[in-house]
Amino acid sequence: MPVDTLDRSRVLSSHFGPLESLLAATGDANLHAWRRANLERFNALGLPTTKDEEFKYFVAPRLNEVKWQLAHGANVYRSHLPKGLISKLETTTLALVNGQIAPELDVLANLPKGVILCGLEEAITNHPELVNQYLGKSATLDGRLGSTNDERFTYLNSAYLADGLFLFVPKSVTLDIPVQLLSVIDAHQGPIAVYPRILIVAEENSEVQIVERHVGINGEYLNVPVTELFVGQGARVEYTRIQTETPEAIHIAGVYASQHGQSVLETHTASFGASASRLDLNIDVLGEYAETWMNGCYVARGEQLVDCHTRLDHRVPNCQSFEVYKGVIDDHGTGVFNGKIFVYEDAQKTDAKQTNQVILLSPTATINTKPQLEIFADDVKCTHGATVGKIRDDALFYMQSRGIPENEARDLLIYAFAAEVIEAIDTPGVTEALEEMLFEKLSK
Amino acid sequence: MLTIRNLEAGTADKPILKGVSLTVNKGEVHAIMGPNGSGKSTLASVLAGKPGYEVTGGTVEFEGKDLLDLDPEERAGEGVFLAFQYPVEIPGVSNTYFLRSAYNAIRKYRGESEMDALKFMSYIKSKTKFLELDNELLSRSVNEGFSGGEKKRNEIFQMAVLEPKLAILDETDSGLDIDALKLVSNGVNALRSPERAMLVITHYQRLLNYIVPDFVHVLVDGRIVKSGGKELALELEEKGYGWIEEQAKAGV
Repeated sequence: MPVDTLDRSRVLSSHFGPLESLLAATGDANLHAWRRANLERFNALGLPTTKDEEFKYFVAPRLNEVKWQLAHGANVYRSHLPKGLISKLETTTLALVNGQIAPELDVLANLPKGVILCGLEEAITNHPELVNQYLGKSATLDGRLGSTNDERFTYLNSAYLADGLFLFVPKSVTLDIPVQLLSVIDAHQGPIAVYPRILIVAEENSEVQIVERHVGINGEYLNVPVTELFVGQGARVEYTRIQTETPEAIHIAGVYASQHGQSVLETHTASFGASASRLDLNIDVLGEYAETWMNGCYVARGEQLVDCHTRLDHRVPNCQSFEVYKGVIDDHGTGVFNGKIFVYEDAQKTDAKQTNQVILLSPTATINTKPQLEIFADDVKCTHGATVGKIRDDALFYMQSRGIPENEARDLLIYAFAAEVIEAIDTPGVTEALEEMLFEKLSK
Repeated sequence: MLTIRNLEAGTADKPILKGVSLTVNKGEVHAIMGPNGSGKSTLASVLAGKPGYEVTGGTVEFEGKDLLDLDPEERAGEGVFLAFQYPVEIPGVSNTYFLRSAYNAIRKYRGESEMDALKFMSYIKSKTKFLELDNELLSRSVNEGFSGGEKKRNEIFQMAVLEPKLAILDETDSGLDIDALKLVSNGVNALRSPERAMLVITHYQRLLNYIVPDFVHVLVDGRIVKSGGKELALELEEKGYGWIEEQAKAGV
């Protein structure tokens, strides 16, 4: 007998009861009341359907079908991890496995004085005032423009808030080595639901390069991570997010950044894994003369669904933003791009550029692309463009005529298409690692 | 080296080459001239294996192999090179990377070991000089934002790097001013060798002042209607193609 969808929504909420005493042990009563409030907000909405505007194209039947379990522990060793960033990057790494802090995967370097890099639970215990100041403050669209704002999975993540990763870079400190924030999931004991939380604070005039990775090792699972990123006045932050979940996984993520005046925030997102993935990247620009870069690269093959939503709030005057998202869709894959830019009434002299380019490699590949600019100021420059194409036959023949075999030429052309995004990353080693991941992804 | 016998080819709905026969030996430079629409570029495309053309008759033998049976990349591996009339822009792929991929793919095809990036750099630097090609162009995306002259020089540069046995130059003079034409021709002439054959396809005699051919063939309506030495090109320059087209019709 088919199980009622409403019941299935409750599968995810039903873990709260058994977990509650454990959750409540982390943080004070206020924090726990906040968890409960978030659970209620999620329960009021339940799981989305394609009738919910923000999930119109997010077709992930397994989300409803599976009886997700509480996350269990797992032993993951470095040798289990796919080759790539962890070994290549001269970096410091802090890791989670199935949402729990995993010191066995950490690579800890000496950090400048005042920098904090630790588990979120530890931060809540040892630096409560700092965590209080930032946690949950960015990850909300309450009171913001937009008639279809939908943050149900962020509520869910907040309801289960326990452990996670915490990075604090104090005022005027420059981190010379990149920080890798690694979340690994191993669902070898059955389908689990995991809610990693990442909190990053870069205080005024600090500089940091961050690589956030979501890596799947085994099996089917639901990963609902939320990242909050504070970029202080005059700070410079490069944030790269790489999602390579298992082919069975569902990944529904929210990244929220608040950006203060004269800061520069460069975000790069790469979405390659999962059977269905969703990323909501929300950037809230709060101070004048801030510069925002949003680069994204997504690939869907087989039956994969990759859904990228971006949102940029230009609240104040004299800010610039540059957004380039590139998608490669093959086989029966589906890509979704929705790019919202809100230019508030006060945000005169905003200069915003948005581009989404997609190549479809097969006649059964689908893309739904929607630029959505809502502009309430009159003296602004906003442009957007969306193109959908295929591999150019003339370029393919040109390369073949020079001796390059067709498959290789095809891969090279796809790489070249995505290169604009991947090569824009300054964090050392990341471009090369992503290039490798992309080639591997394309050649499977 | 190259033997074309009664080659018939065209697009799906239109026959273009109606029985072309031509023999090219190594060391020889042959010019193919003809009015617009006579099939010159189709001949070049068919020899290089461009998709979209259908061969309906005849044979092409290259170094003892059936050329028409090979994929475009295999033809390149065998030593055929086409300098495009309209070189293609490939944003995102650097000229150097592109050329190294091509160079190594050809070596691999021939069972030779690949050349590493460092050695390759010094190898290609030695080739940029005689074309007066700016080194900066090497790191730029293939042909992207190149001027017409730069694109054509880049074609010849690729030819210099890949060292083909047979080079087919398709309207290499089109869109070039006189200085660029000289530069490109000097490049081509520097690549003439007793081991290498060239097929120079052009509408105008002008190019042949600089790249002096051993043989000239006139292609009209898909057939070679007249062949001769370099003086035939001068005659065409003087009289145009009209008389030869009429002769061709009368001869049928």
